[in-house]
Amino acid sequence: MKIVVCVKQVPEVTNVQVDPVTGTLIREGVQSILNPFCEYALDHAVRMAKQLENAHVVAISMGPPQAKDVLLRCLELGADEGILVTDRQFAGADTWATSYTLAQAIRLAVPDYDLILVGKQAIDGDTAQVGPEIAEILSLPQITYGTQIGLSPSGRQVRVTREVEQGYEVVEAAMPALVSFSKGEMVRRAPSFRDVLQAREKPLRMLSAAALNIPEEELGLKGSFTQVVKVFPPPEKKTGRLLQDLEAEEAAQAIFDYLIERRFIE
Amino acid sequence: MLKIDHERCTKCKLCIRNCPFGALSMVDDLLQVNELCTLCGACINVCRFDALSIERKKASKEELAKFRDVFIWIELDEMGETIQPKKVALELLGKGRQLADALGEQLVAVVLCGEKCLDLNKLGQFGADKVILCQHPLLGQYSTDGFTHAMCAIISAKKPAVVLYGATPHGRDFAPRVAARLKLGLTADCTGLEIDAERQLVQTRPAFGGNIMASIITPYNRPQTATVRPNVFPVPQAGQDQAVKVEIFDLVLNRSAIRTRVVEKSVMADGNATRIEDARVIVSGGRGCQKAANLDILRSVAGQLGGVLGGSRAIVEQGWIPHTIQVGQSGTTVGPELYIAAGISGAIQHVVGMSSSKTIIAVNKDPEAPIFKIADLSVVGDAVEIMQKLHELLAAHSHI
Amino acid sequence: MHEIQSKPVPSVDVKQVKCIHGFEAIQRDYPVYLTDESKLSAKPIDYLWFPKDELELAAVIREMSRLNIPITIAGARTGLVGGSVPETGALVSLEHLDKVEGLFYDPLAEEWRLRAQTSLSLKAIDNMLQFKQFPNLEKHPDEWVRSNFVRFKDDPNSYFYPPDPTEMSASLGGSVVTNASGARTYRFGPTRAWVRGLRVFLADGEYLDIPRGKYFASPAGKFVISNSRGEVKSFNIPGYSLPRTKSATGFFTAPQMDLIDLFIGSEGLLGVVSRVDVALAKREPKISIIQFLDSEDQALHLTHALRSDGRLQLDFLEFYSENALKLLSDLQIAEPATVGMPAIPPQARAAIFFELSFDPKQEALDFSALEETLASCGADLANSWAGYEPRELERLKVFRHLLPETINAIIAERKKDIPALHKLGTDMAVPDVHLDEIWQLYKQRVQEEDLEWAAFGHIGNNHIHVNILPRNLSELEKGMVLYEEFATRAVALGGTVSAEHGIGKIKRKFLTLMYTPEQIEQMRQVKLAIDPQGLFNPQDMFLGEVAQ
Repeated sequence: MKIVVCVKQVPEVTNVQVDPVTGTLIREGVQSILNPFCEYALDHAVRMAKQLENAHVVAISMGPPQAKDVLLRCLELGADEGILVTDRQFAGADTWATSYTLAQAIRLAVPDYDLILVGKQAIDGDTAQVGPEIAEILSLPQITYGTQIGLSPSGRQVRVTREVEQGYEVVEAAMPALVSFSKGEMVRRAPSFRDVLQAREKPLRMLSAAALNIPEEELGLKGSFTQVVKVFPPPEKKTGRLLQDLEAEEAAQAIFDYLIERRFIE
Repeated sequence: MLKIDHERCTKCKLCIRNCPFGALSMVDDLLQVNELCTLCGACINVCRFDALSIERKKASKEELAKFRDVFIWIELDEMGETIQPKKVALELLGKGRQLADALGEQLVAVVLCGEKCLDLNKLGQFGADKVILCQHPLLGQYSTDGFTHAMCAIISAKKPAVVLYGATPHGRDFAPRVAARLKLGLTADCTGLEIDAERQLVQTRPAFGGNIMASIITPYNRPQTATVRPNVFPVPQAGQDQAVKVEIFDLVLNRSAIRTRVVEKSVMADGNATRIEDARVIVSGGRGCQKAANLDILRSVAGQLGGVLGGSRAIVEQGWIPHTIQVGQSGTTVGPELYIAAGISGAIQHVVGMSSSKTIIAVNKDPEAPIFKIADLSVVGDAVEIMQKLHELLAAHSHI
Repeated sequence: MHEIQSKPVPSVDVKQVKCIHGFEAIQRDYPVYLTDESKLSAKPIDYLWFPKDELELAAVIREMSRLNIPITIAGARTGLVGGSVPETGALVSLEHLDKVEGLFYDPLAEEWRLRAQTSLSLKAIDNMLQFKQFPNLEKHPDEWVRSNFVRFKDDPNSYFYPPDPTEMSASLGGSVVTNASGARTYRFGPTRAWVRGLRVFLADGEYLDIPRGKYFASPAGKFVISNSRGEVKSFNIPGYSLPRTKSATGFFTAPQMDLIDLFIGSEGLLGVVSRVDVALAKREPKISIIQFLDSEDQALHLTHALRSDGRLQLDFLEFYSENALKLLSDLQIAEPATVGMPAIPPQARAAIFFELSFDPKQEALDFSALEETLASCGADLANSWAGYEPRELERLKVFRHLLPETINAIIAERKKDIPALHKLGTDMAVPDVHLDEIWQLYKQRVQEEDLEWAAFGHIGNNHIHVNILPRNLSELEKGMVLYEEFATRAVALGGTVSAEHGIGKIKRKFLTLMYTPEQIEQMRQVKLAIDPQGLFNPQDMFLGEVAQ
């Protein structure tokens, strides 16, 4: 069975700081990491592959040359092969152009895939669109917000547990199919030293735009339907009252009084 | 393409410092732009020497003018016997009304449903000029394929200028498929929507985990589509009860077109009767609550205030609460009347999910906790102890 | 040369210095100043001073000296032996002296140096160096400072300050007077190896600027310090030899020693360090590896093998015993996200944790030397965790530090029922050749006494912390007896009673295990000469009463 996992390298946005003067991001010292949701998808792929015989996991990413680092990480975490789709022409791509490019790469590089697993969203863009768009371009059934995955008893369908507002549901679809994940391991896995050494023996190749046969007008910025026209810092929030150095009772009393003042209690 | 006029460039490097994507740099003493450029224009804004410019292609006005009206996908909720529109759909009708008025066009509610349907006049009360009703047995339950087919058919036939969806699990599931099939622009999780002077829909949303805001347009394609999170826009005042114009849309849809099958459904224990995004009061816990058992105190206080328990991603990861009550960017966006954050540091990913709460009270041991920047009342102290005492005060008060 | 002159500072009125008078007010409004990480309780004091610069510091020293009121010095109060816990007189908090003063390149030594005030924390230094963000250097009025800073920023390399005690919120000055150590001491040496200069205020209110490499003890072992009023302090350095291990016990001494080394590790007895110059090292990409093993013996075997392999240069070499792993596993079950690592292999009975240089950009990796060494000890490379991305190194570091925190939490819980209980953590180190022997002693004796324990630490320096977790007062008693037994044996093997925590108040008794009364008298003579009034830290080291 061939499982394709689409991954993205993203800046680690949890600790990113905004320059208070220019309102733009301070990039110095910000790490580039494997997008956490993509890592969930990879974990699910590797786990599935371990349970099956002859399963092969291909990690694929579209990005600048340094995105090779996240593919290497995927190899360390158990993927069998990595493909980096990289070309200056991909620059400025919005979700449509990205999806188109990735879909084409998958068609050409792994034509006999059974499953495409992706993360719900990238933590820099947060759009959650690339997965469904790839599924549409490749005409695949999709299941989103996946938390667990397995095969149906017959082995021909994929069975996915997905999060819905009030709880969970289990959905089945015939393969080939695309699944996007919102949950994975509670704690990130750690490769062993052996995994790190062996990762560098696994195949990792680059594909350029020419190799993909995509018409120029569908690439990068030219192929995008949306355009960013402005970037600015989020609005300043109001400042409220700060109470410090109070005992727990006094603090609770202050909150209680405030709740009365604002009519949350009569 | 970003064009650099090297004759005018004074190498002041102001643009380099202002580029949010690190796309500009000096190479061999000349300004260069690399593949990270997204044409956002931040550099053009700061260049004092007119050395930078962007060439953009524009679609013809005649082509664009063929697309008219603002369509809102009305997602439905089954509450026991009756079917109601989801609260987010009403919020979008409110916003949609503003956009339609700015364009001088109509606001249309799009309903996809099975045999059971809702009272369509309600949609008129909340601002719709017209309802497009697409009823089909296979649309009685949500499916990606069914809803994508239906929406694509409607859009192709009716040619709206704008389509808005609530960014709910279903909305986020099929809106991108519609966009991909029809080659439309789609902007997710918008927090702002306006019509500009050129009659473009300007879509504003957070990026980089909420650390920065981006404004986006879809200049060449119609309709312009966007998803909007619940609790971002207010529910409009309900107007007069009057009959609304309904247009029936016939859909051809086969069983075989639907390629997914729901095999099992289960409802969570803490999946409250009152859902977190609808709650008026939320008492929310974070790591500062130290252990799962302490959340009982927060539950009690929530109960005393007529509200529900919520929590940060950190405690969902510890397994103390289910994801259904996670507040934050990768959880639910809430905008209650009162939000009490106990032991939550206030990382931007959490704040983005609750900042539109009307009143915010935060309790945290750390005087530098970022949550204090957005709270109306900030208290430095041990969240568990203080909540416990508050619980006692509330209990005593209710006995008076 | 062996003679040095101290200089006075301009006078300022001591009344302008922020001061809290009276123990009642101090206890009520500033209780945190009355203890440090040792959790030792203070005895009543009358003054709490907050000088905001060196001038105010000098004024406070002169005033306290005039009134004959002894001073306890406090930096970040992160010490583990009660050094900053006052028992009489005044407490002076140096917290406001926390500015970076400059980054300078020394062309002779070919190294970058950082000059900073005493209370800048090691964590802040690490952060600023990592992001090359030094706000007050960018806007500094002195052009020389600004241009040096620009040069530092333009340097393509990244730099760091090697000493890494577990508690990185410790102050720079504090780390200097305790000669602090951490895991990286294995490769980089203790703080002493990185201090290039310091400014210290003496009991007469004047200060000495001591660059390394300028002032040396005379062949007879003498130093002479004279002040601006012509008063002369002359003394001989102690004659004992230091143990052949990493050590933070007693005054430093060596034939023709550098004067700066007398103050490093002096635990505040000789003066108040107000400013330090330290050297920085180039940051290199690293890989961190935790190797899980089948037995503690295998861990010792691996330690010897890794140490003796000349082809390997490890930054640190740390050990986790079976019980230590068990405590972490238990924590993982309760709070998986806090531990942040996958499940510890259930069959692991020990672990060795090490770090070495690694270039992830390299096409081909040659780790054959390391692979061979690990295999030769029967270690399975698949039974390990490895990471080199910054956030992987970070979470492995968090994992390493969780153990002492977990132990503290367990003790804190037990203290609720038995307030007199406290943690017992040994801090002994021995020479390489005696590692196996001391480990066998620890293990055998603790098991014989049937005590709850967890051992972990800097096995690369033969410096394993044996933590006994007493469940009642009788176990606490037994533990303390064992502790003394271990300390005595460590000294007999040529080691030290305190490899990194220092003596302070809590370990005063151990000082006498390591030094003879004559040797301690030699230290006392140095103190008497430099601080005849006994103004500074009067209850630490060989001063004051021995703790119960």
